[in-house]
Amino acid sequence: MEQELVLFKHNRKHRPVTFAEYRKEGGFEALEKAVKKMTPAEVQQAVIDSGLRGRGGAGFPTGRKWSFVPRDLPGPRWLICNCDEMEPGTYKDRLLLEHNPYGLIEGMTLACYALGVRHAFIFIRKGYEKAAENLARGIAEAKGAGLLGERILGSEVSVDLDLHLSAGRYICGEETALINALEGKRPNPRSKPPFPAVKGLWQGPTVVNNVETLAAVPAIVANGPAWYKGLARIPEAAGTKLFCVSGSVAERVCVELPLGTPLREIIDRYCGGMRDGKKFKACIPGGASTQFLTADHLDVPMDYETVAKVGSRLGSGGVIVFDESHCLVAATLNLITFFARESCGWCTPCREGLPFVKEILQRIEAGRGEERDIELLREHIKYLNYSFCALAPGAMAPVDGLLAHFEDEVREHITKGCCPLAGKGGN
Amino acid sequence: MPKLIIDDIPVDVAPGTSVLEAARSVGITIPHFCYHPALAIAAACRLCAVKLLDGPVKGIQMSCSLPAQDGMVVSTTDPEALKLRELVIEWLMINHPHDCPVCDEGGECLLQDFTIAGGHSRRRYRGKKRTFKNQYLGEGICHEMNRCIECYRCVRFYQDYAGGTDFGVTGSAGRVYFGRFADGALESPFSGNLVDICPTGVFTDKTGRFRARYWDYQFAPSVCPRCSVGCNTSPQAYQREVIKIVGRRNDQVNGWFICDRGRFDKGYINAPERPREPMIDGTPASYDEALEALTARISEFVTVNGTESLALVGSPRLSLEGCLLLAELAQVLDGAQLCYFGDASLARGSVAAATLLNEQNAASMRDVEKADCIALVSLDLMEEAPMLALSVRKARAAGAQIYLVAGTTEASAAPLPFQYRTVGSLDEVPFEGGSKGVVVCGAGEQEPGVLAQIASLGAKLVLLQPGPNGFAAGLLARQHGAVSLSEAIAAGKVKGAVAFEADLADALPTGFMVLGIADWQACPPYRDAAVFLPTTVWAESCGTSINFEGRAQRFEPALKAGLPLRGLPEKYYAHGAEGVAREAAAVSPPAHPPRIPRAEIPGGQERECWRVIAALAEKLGGDRIAEPLTGKWSKLQHLDPEGGGVRVFSL
Repeated sequence: MEQELVLFKHNRKHRPVTFAEYRKEGGFEALEKAVKKMTPAEVQQAVIDSGLRGRGGAGFPTGRKWSFVPRDLPGPRWLICNCDEMEPGTYKDRLLLEHNPYGLIEGMTLACYALGVRHAFIFIRKGYEKAAENLARGIAEAKGAGLLGERILGSEVSVDLDLHLSAGRYICGEETALINALEGKRPNPRSKPPFPAVKGLWQGPTVVNNVETLAAVPAIVANGPAWYKGLARIPEAAGTKLFCVSGSVAERVCVELPLGTPLREIIDRYCGGMRDGKKFKACIPGGASTQFLTADHLDVPMDYETVAKVGSRLGSGGVIVFDESHCLVAATLNLITFFARESCGWCTPCREGLPFVKEILQRIEAGRGEERDIELLREHIKYLNYSFCALAPGAMAPVDGLLAHFEDEVREHITKGCCPLAGKGGN
Repeated sequence: MPKLIIDDIPVDVAPGTSVLEAARSVGITIPHFCYHPALAIAAACRLCAVKLLDGPVKGIQMSCSLPAQDGMVVSTTDPEALKLRELVIEWLMINHPHDCPVCDEGGECLLQDFTIAGGHSRRRYRGKKRTFKNQYLGEGICHEMNRCIECYRCVRFYQDYAGGTDFGVTGSAGRVYFGRFADGALESPFSGNLVDICPTGVFTDKTGRFRARYWDYQFAPSVCPRCSVGCNTSPQAYQREVIKIVGRRNDQVNGWFICDRGRFDKGYINAPERPREPMIDGTPASYDEALEALTARISEFVTVNGTESLALVGSPRLSLEGCLLLAELAQVLDGAQLCYFGDASLARGSVAAATLLNEQNAASMRDVEKADCIALVSLDLMEEAPMLALSVRKARAAGAQIYLVAGTTEASAAPLPFQYRTVGSLDEVPFEGGSKGVVVCGAGEQEPGVLAQIASLGAKLVLLQPGPNGFAAGLLARQHGAVSLSEAIAAGKVKGAVAFEADLADALPTGFMVLGIADWQACPPYRDAAVFLPTTVWAESCGTSINFEGRAQRFEPALKAGLPLRGLPEKYYAHGAEGVAREAAAVSPPAHPPRIPRAEIPGGQERECWRVIAALAEKLGGDRIAEPLTGKWSKLQHLDPEGGGVRVFSL
């Protein structure tokens, strides 16, 4: 059965789709339908009914997030597209925008219509210059065609999109830190509550959504929520997801697949199986802040609830595959090094605890670990949950997975006084 | 009124109170670093963790940012909370240097207190500590960034509370750095509060560096004598020297902070050139001899010239007791000219304030903070009352409109730490009758009609004074019909004066006789031609002063006046006969305190000025005065220096 694509539907090989091509293939028809024939509440209801969940990593139901914006609060409300994709292993938003910026543009305009937003921002990270170029061009083309700006398609609806280039680091992907960055402040996260939907950008109601989430909205509006929900592979899931795979697979690809597709199928059918005939050892399913899945989990359907049930998270869908030659202590150290470096420095557990964990893993990896280090790691796994934002708990997820599934490998480092996999050609 | 239970103690608090504050109200101190009552909540340090055992919220929470709610059951001693607090301290100790032996904060260090309280001992971290280069931040503050525990208090105070822009936080992760963005001294006139607010020794008082330990200090509640706001301070003294001055909390006046002038401008107290010996015509004498001499000269003067030729001059820096007794002295010398000011304009301004202000219209610092419209009229706010600028800043942050009426200068050292609009005249300020408006005027006489206009606006008034006790001086000047010295001289009758902590005009007419001066500062060029009686500074005195709000506040002596032990002149180390220097005078300076037992404090003859006035009054035939605060002022006799003071309108 030919799979129905939503996000990658208009992809061309080796070049972005053009504005004319996108329109010819049905692009912006959803927007026209919405502003001419639907009320904002109806658009919002469609998103609620579709079961769309946030694609940035948290998986929060999108329609429910939108419903937190108070209807009757005076003053402007804001929509921000979080294109600060920095979760290690995740490159789907970049690919999506390099192929097709118009899906996001149309999706954001629809979201603005549903939420009553006049002015929206796309917060895009450093390094995504090509995607930013596409977006800038796309916004200009859409505006020129009356699909953006004042009085869209002759209606009373006006929406403007601002492309904002981030000056910051990984923490800017945290929605409240992103808001602070947009306001020109240091990107420390804010306390929640109040949630951004009530008090966000410049203290006004604000919705922050991921690129992939917003790019799914046109199809939901065009074809209806039931259609979108039905695209999933299992009944409790809804819609499709971009899975970007890297690591020890034959072909590192980014594919759009129905949610609920088993992990094994993603690797074997879409990535050409393991590279060089290697054996699957473990994978990170959804970006660096998720626990390892092992060979025992290859048949788990890849959806939010099903992956959570086995002790990990679907996250961003950034799959990193490890084979038998990879030392997972080294892999975990690699990830912790990233998180320790990216701490914003606001709260004590993250700022001081992550370097502590890094130091322990460095010693273990180098063969200078001690028995008590495992207990120390467990203390940090537990108590780093009490940091100010989700960076530190996320950072400890791979450590949690390491001790949950590969404690023997850790102990072997300690008892042997060296990495048991050294010289086996991995890493 | 949320009712909750903390460690089995039922607590009832006002809505909006945090669990941390609710615990404090029943005597439970939850360890914290980033929390400070004057600053917005940060919840960054994670030290104030408690466990919610039951109620609308459960589990580990940060007590500083958790509003108390009905039905909460809080444990500050739950093992999970204790473990988290233990870990937070351990995390901070990963990088904190072993500086206690050489760090001035020791003994008054929040980090020490909570580290010991948390039971931290063994180090499990095996890596290296991160280190930083320090900055030169000026002559007041030492910078030692290695000690930083990143509580962010300094930047929250400096930028958010005080409006400073040249200091802040840079960097990220473990390299966050709290310092100045470019080389140079800190620009904010409130930068000294970093010393008080930093919970460790990153910012310490450079002027008192390495002098003493916290437990060595003598201190007492005092009031700053540098302007008419009357911030509460604690001068900290050791071996007869004021080592440093710290802010003292007063929720009615200055809150938790003081300005840099009040903190660092203390050289006058221990300056070597401070006159400490009574003098007659430039020759040292005993206090009694000097008092006798002055009495004799006054008697002779009034016999020859008549009492109306003599001016008795006080000032806005003379204490309330001194001002009251000055009036008594003027009665004893019936006909003498009583003056509380040197300058005519300042006198008229203060008297006008005393006339105009009453309980209803006199704005307090808190009134300024709650105002919604503030006009600043002919004043240099950062020069005359820096801490008032922070109250205006708070009002602005709450949405108030601030107007600078043209003619108001912004000439002084620092820019105003709030947004304002400049208007040509007071007419353009949109006070709505009955609204919460405040007009702030500088000290000194206003243009004709301005005061009347201001009084008619229905706003509350701040009329600043030219000195810390200017309000009392103005009040008493009005009560006794006193004019300024310059007016008295201009009227032609006054030919001589006795000055009590007064700044005599530079241009006194030739032939004018200064018979006596009682002061703690050198007053050339008159000192040598008169009887000089050294007095104590406020940090060495007990007394009362009234600030611009009309608030009487009491201060107590933090130290006994006298030459500091360190750098004591040679003659105090003499063996045998007085004044004979020992051969070891060649050894300089001696490292030990003098081994000669003495009955008097070296250089310690200074007396409170009001006592000097009382003694003179008695010698000139008046009654013996045991208590300076009498009549309506007797209510201030037992004023609690650590209370909120008393506004004198109701006396």
